[in-house]
Amino acid sequence: MPQVKIIAKNFMDMVASLPALKLDKLYDNAFICEAILRSLPPLAKKYVLQMLYIDVPISAKLLQEWVLADGVSKHNVAVDRLVQLRVFIETVDRKKESTYRLNPKFQINLQKHIVHGGVLPREPMPSTITVRLPSLEDLEAYAAEQWECFLLHLISSAQAERTTNFSSSMMKIFQRGLLSQRDKEAPKLTESGFQFLLMDTNAQLWYIIREYITNSEERGVDTADLISFLLELSFHVTGEAYNMNTLTDIQRNVIKDLADLGLVKLQQGRKESWFIPTKLATNLSISLSDLSSRKQGFVVVETNFRVYAYSSSKLHCEILRLFSRVEYQLPNLIVAAITKESLYNAFENGIMAEQIISFLQQNAHPRVAERIPSVPENVTDQIRLWESDTNRVEMTPAHLFDEFPSRDVFEAACDFAREYGGVLWEDSKKMRLVVKAEILGQMREFLRR
Amino acid sequence: MVDGKVIKRAKYKSSVKDSGTPGILEMMEDRFIFTPHNPKSSPSLNVLFRLIKGHKFTKEGSHKQALLNLTHDQGGSYIFEFENFSDRDVCREFVGRATSTATEAGKDGSERSSVAAQDEQLSTKEMERRIKLLQEDSELQKLHKQFVLGGVLTEAEFWATRKKLLDGDISRVTRQRAGFKSAMLADVKPSADGRSNRVTFNLTPEIIHQIFAEKPAVHRAFLKFVPNKMTEKDFWTKYCRAEYLHSTKNAVAAAAEAAEDEELAVFLKHDDVWATEARHKIRRVDPTLDMEADEGDDYIHLPDHGMSRDGSNDAIDSQYEEYRRSLSQVLNRHGAVVLEGRSIDVELGDTRSVAEALARSKQVELANGASDGIVNQERLERISQLAEIEDLQAPRDPPLAPLFIKDPREYFDSQQANAIKTLGDTLAGTRQIKCSLSTSEAYGSLRERISEVKISGLSDPIVKPEVAFKVFNGLTQNISSTKYHFGKNPQESVLDGLPSITKEQLLHHWTSIEELLKHFWSSYPITTSYLYVKVHRLKDAMSQIYPKLQEIKESVNSDSRHQVSLLVQPMLQALDAAFAHYDADLQKRSAKTGDRPNGIV
Amino acid sequence: MTSVTPKLSTDDVSLLMVLLDTNPFFWSAANATSLSFSKFLSHVVAFLNSVLLINQLNQVVVIATGINTCDYVYDSAAAGAVPNQRAEILLQKLVEFVVKDEQLGKEDSVNGIGSSLLSGSLSMALCYIQRVFRSGPLHPQPRSNLMKLLVWWQILCLHGSPDGPEQYVAIMNAIFSAQRSMVPIDSCLLGAQHSAFLQQASYITGGVYLKPQQLDGLFQYLSTVFASDLYSRNFLQLPKPVGVDFRASCFCHKNTIDMGYICSVCLSIFCKHHKNCSTCGSVFGQAQSNAPSTSNQKRETPET
Repeated sequence: MPQVKIIAKNFMDMVASLPALKLDKLYDNAFICEAILRSLPPLAKKYVLQMLYIDVPISAKLLQEWVLADGVSKHNVAVDRLVQLRVFIETVDRKKESTYRLNPKFQINLQKHIVHGGVLPREPMPSTITVRLPSLEDLEAYAAEQWECFLLHLISSAQAERTTNFSSSMMKIFQRGLLSQRDKEAPKLTESGFQFLLMDTNAQLWYIIREYITNSEERGVDTADLISFLLELSFHVTGEAYNMNTLTDIQRNVIKDLADLGLVKLQQGRKESWFIPTKLATNLSISLSDLSSRKQGFVVVETNFRVYAYSSSKLHCEILRLFSRVEYQLPNLIVAAITKESLYNAFENGIMAEQIISFLQQNAHPRVAERIPSVPENVTDQIRLWESDTNRVEMTPAHLFDEFPSRDVFEAACDFAREYGGVLWEDSKKMRLVVKAEILGQMREFLRR
Repeated sequence: MVDGKVIKRAKYKSSVKDSGTPGILEMMEDRFIFTPHNPKSSPSLNVLFRLIKGHKFTKEGSHKQALLNLTHDQGGSYIFEFENFSDRDVCREFVGRATSTATEAGKDGSERSSVAAQDEQLSTKEMERRIKLLQEDSELQKLHKQFVLGGVLTEAEFWATRKKLLDGDISRVTRQRAGFKSAMLADVKPSADGRSNRVTFNLTPEIIHQIFAEKPAVHRAFLKFVPNKMTEKDFWTKYCRAEYLHSTKNAVAAAAEAAEDEELAVFLKHDDVWATEARHKIRRVDPTLDMEADEGDDYIHLPDHGMSRDGSNDAIDSQYEEYRRSLSQVLNRHGAVVLEGRSIDVELGDTRSVAEALARSKQVELANGASDGIVNQERLERISQLAEIEDLQAPRDPPLAPLFIKDPREYFDSQQANAIKTLGDTLAGTRQIKCSLSTSEAYGSLRERISEVKISGLSDPIVKPEVAFKVFNGLTQNISSTKYHFGKNPQESVLDGLPSITKEQLLHHWTSIEELLKHFWSSYPITTSYLYVKVHRLKDAMSQIYPKLQEIKESVNSDSRHQVSLLVQPMLQALDAAFAHYDADLQKRSAKTGDRPNGIV
Repeated sequence: MTSVTPKLSTDDVSLLMVLLDTNPFFWSAANATSLSFSKFLSHVVAFLNSVLLINQLNQVVVIATGINTCDYVYDSAAAGAVPNQRAEILLQKLVEFVVKDEQLGKEDSVNGIGSSLLSGSLSMALCYIQRVFRSGPLHPQPRSNLMKLLVWWQILCLHGSPDGPEQYVAIMNAIFSAQRSMVPIDSCLLGAQHSAFLQQASYITGGVYLKPQQLDGLFQYLSTVFASDLYSRNFLQLPKPVGVDFRASCFCHKNTIDMGYICSVCLSIFCKHHKNCSTCGSVFGQAQSNAPSTSNQKRETPET
């Protein structure tokens, strides 16, 4: 079974993996504190709130008192997370009892927030300046277009109509893992590349941003700075214009990259230039895909395996081509059919049935999305069946034993292996035995005796 | 019936196969004695009923022996064979009663006397039901033992509050009524003696009843002709003749005879009552049922379902159509009547009365349901329900029964005059901090406070760390203490934490107090001296429980004493209320009838 | 592992209705003692801020409960995205509300502390919740496997004034409809005495009833107990009241009573025997009080 290699971890996992010093530095920024708090598990949020004004360490026992028997695991997860993110500072006293207190910086930032109700990272463009700002719809369309263009570029540079600001080396980094290129041949999508295409936009964005951050050091940008800037960006108001002058040089460079991804729109005024965050940017820190961030679907699947995609996008066409046979392409409609051949093709490329199905479900046209199921059951079942067709042979690492000294030894060995549930095959005439690789050690020890 | 004796002749057997020892079986209140005719052949028996665990008996049937098997406590059993079943049943009932009262009364048989005295006027059935209830419900049995046998309540009083239990049992036992036989009327074949042309039909009251039910036209004719126009015998002769003509399949002959005799014609023609009934039925058929769709699925299109009746072939002659019947019609009619069952409860025998009774029940039926308007209305509703077009329907909300309120204002609005009045203890607390401010002052200060916040912002820090910590600690302590008191999980009952003896005692006291209180309060107001005595008795019983509760409270260890006292508290309160009421009542009573301190005696 | 999508369910979204008691008499009485209205407001605003802080999908609606009227004073969904003006908006509306409440009042000064219109604000809260349920995409649909968010409302009553027995019927109706729409009612008592109404409300709807001992730590109580979202409550032990006052008010005089008469048809409660039910008009039979030698025998229906 192909394993999914892309794990769209969320932002906070990345933050949590930062060293303590950098983490503490991050908490200087109020927005990071806010974003971190929001990313916490529900119980952890409550713990933070109730300790907000307590300045002495609270023993772990006191916290535990509130937890019902059912919630112990949740409680442990919450506390672990808090300690991992250094929101809780744990001290173990002489009696080996741990006590917790809030990270002071974190605490002060949140206290301020609660009293003042939170502030904006920077002032938006004053309304006195009369510049036509794009409407929210325009902005969304712009973001989608940018992102699509970037994706196309990512998959095959030749198809993209516009070039991006990203240097080719940067592009290479993004493509690493998604594309494989044998010498001279055109680059081919890898398994994870295919899977990447089928993920929803938020997850894709995640993958790219993660790559972008992990490689920031090479470009001379501090990881913590970059993270805090990205988080800060997510607290800007969508659709408002902000002055570029408020940014540092490094941030300005980053903004340009982000504009290519569709996170911000740049607008050149007469004197000053502005940047306008799009929805993609404001959703960055949100670890969930709420309804508002979902795009309208476009795919209708019929019970006769025909797929109608109301889209003019090249990217959508490419994605559909991954697992179906495109039959017609009209200006705003792609008609395709899911066939056995097209699916086998997809499976060979490492795409899994579940991914195809979830893609179809998530992008279901609003007309069919309300229906349950949004994709006809016979189609989903068939896709799964065809997938299981390809997995008829199962591979199990194994070891073969033969030339047993006597029948007794052979039979004892068989019994032993059976006890461990590791017998795969035995031939009592020729005294040969095949066992699973896991129990090789035990078998060896047994036979030695 | 309970006390007294039963003496029957019976054979004692050591096993079912055993031929048995003839002798006399004597059953008394607490024991049974068997004395063999021949004292030498086997020893006589003298067994106490309380040693008898149960009894079995054979079912009534012609070829079976009337056996009664009494199972002994220590294993083994006594088998008696009776001469007939009625003897056996008398003994069986006696044993049933005797054993259950014996187990109830425990080891001491003397306690039973009061029960027995009360039971006298009860039927055996009633008695059995009570015993069964007691056996099924150990809780009930305990209460019964404690109060009835303890003399606090009489048997009748105890059961009076449990009428429902008894009634529920009765309703389950209803007599089963025999229906019609499923044999067809056509099976009543005429018997010919072969020598002459004479054909004989045998009609029993049973068959006549069935004929009436199945052939309403005959029924109607019977009511019309007999006995004014012809005798019953003539009537049936005519009927049989008509039947005979039918059976010979001679449609032409039938038509000819019908033309001559108009009475006979009634039997020969199509039954018009059937026809109207059938029309009614068709009207009631689900209108959305598409019968055409099923056409061809069955054999309807083949005449007489493809079976030939009596082997003769019908010559199709539309002229005589109305003198022929189809088998399917007869079959259907018969099936319907059998399924409907016997609707009248008249002793069969007098044909006339049967006919009339049947006519009455028919009329009731007609009046009940068949008013065409209603049927039609229902039909239309059904059509619209089943063939509804979803898009055109308004969303259907679940039906709500509107609350009928005479005057909504009275229900929802406050009654200002009363509201301002003293409001019980709710206001008691507020009285202390009564403010002397006028309305405008109060509002003014409120506005001031708001603007205070507006100007200076929120107080910072909102909570002082010390206070926050104190509050948090306090809350946590509160939580842990409730956890300790009420168990970790909300579903867990406090009772589970107590030792099982205490728990059982508490539960038992609770049920007995409930029982006593129920009786106590239901006997107020005291109108008869009987009630007066009863209340007095109940009060005494309750005051006996009081110290027992105290005892329980003290017996438990200090950890759970608090919880137990919490549990006991409501019981004591309920008892106290009863005592208070009793005393007050007594005082009032003695004040009124000063010279008679006992009230009504 | 196919779940490459981010976490879909947001278990801990809470939509909170806060009912503020703005009874001027209560607050001027409380001024002298522990908690002034201004202090109270800062605790509450801080609490609202913290609720809105912990999840961007959280929503808060504030309803002010006066003695003559009640009104919505803040709705975080409608207030726009400017977080630092929250307090200003709320306070401004509150002032307007207080003025309105005063104008509506009659001239005669109320004897003692009147009760505030809890029934009104509860009904308003429930109406609001119903409107959101019916119109919005946030309708709770536990059965649907569509990716709709499971969002539950809760009501928090910050109440100080004494119970108004004349509101008994209306409040009980509100409580039962809250129970039916699965909206828990939390109550935090600011006054000196317990409220039987809110005890019952919290008990019936499965909310938390708490009477803080130390009012200057109100925020701590709010954040520790009442800020827990409904999802977390499954795992937490929250304070339980020792006992609940289940006494009812009679329909005829609006008195709180221990024992009374109940109409067997509509279950209306009366403190005295009536010939017929004033609610549904049923005619009652003669009470069995015609015993020859007894004077004042009542057959009481003990109801607990």
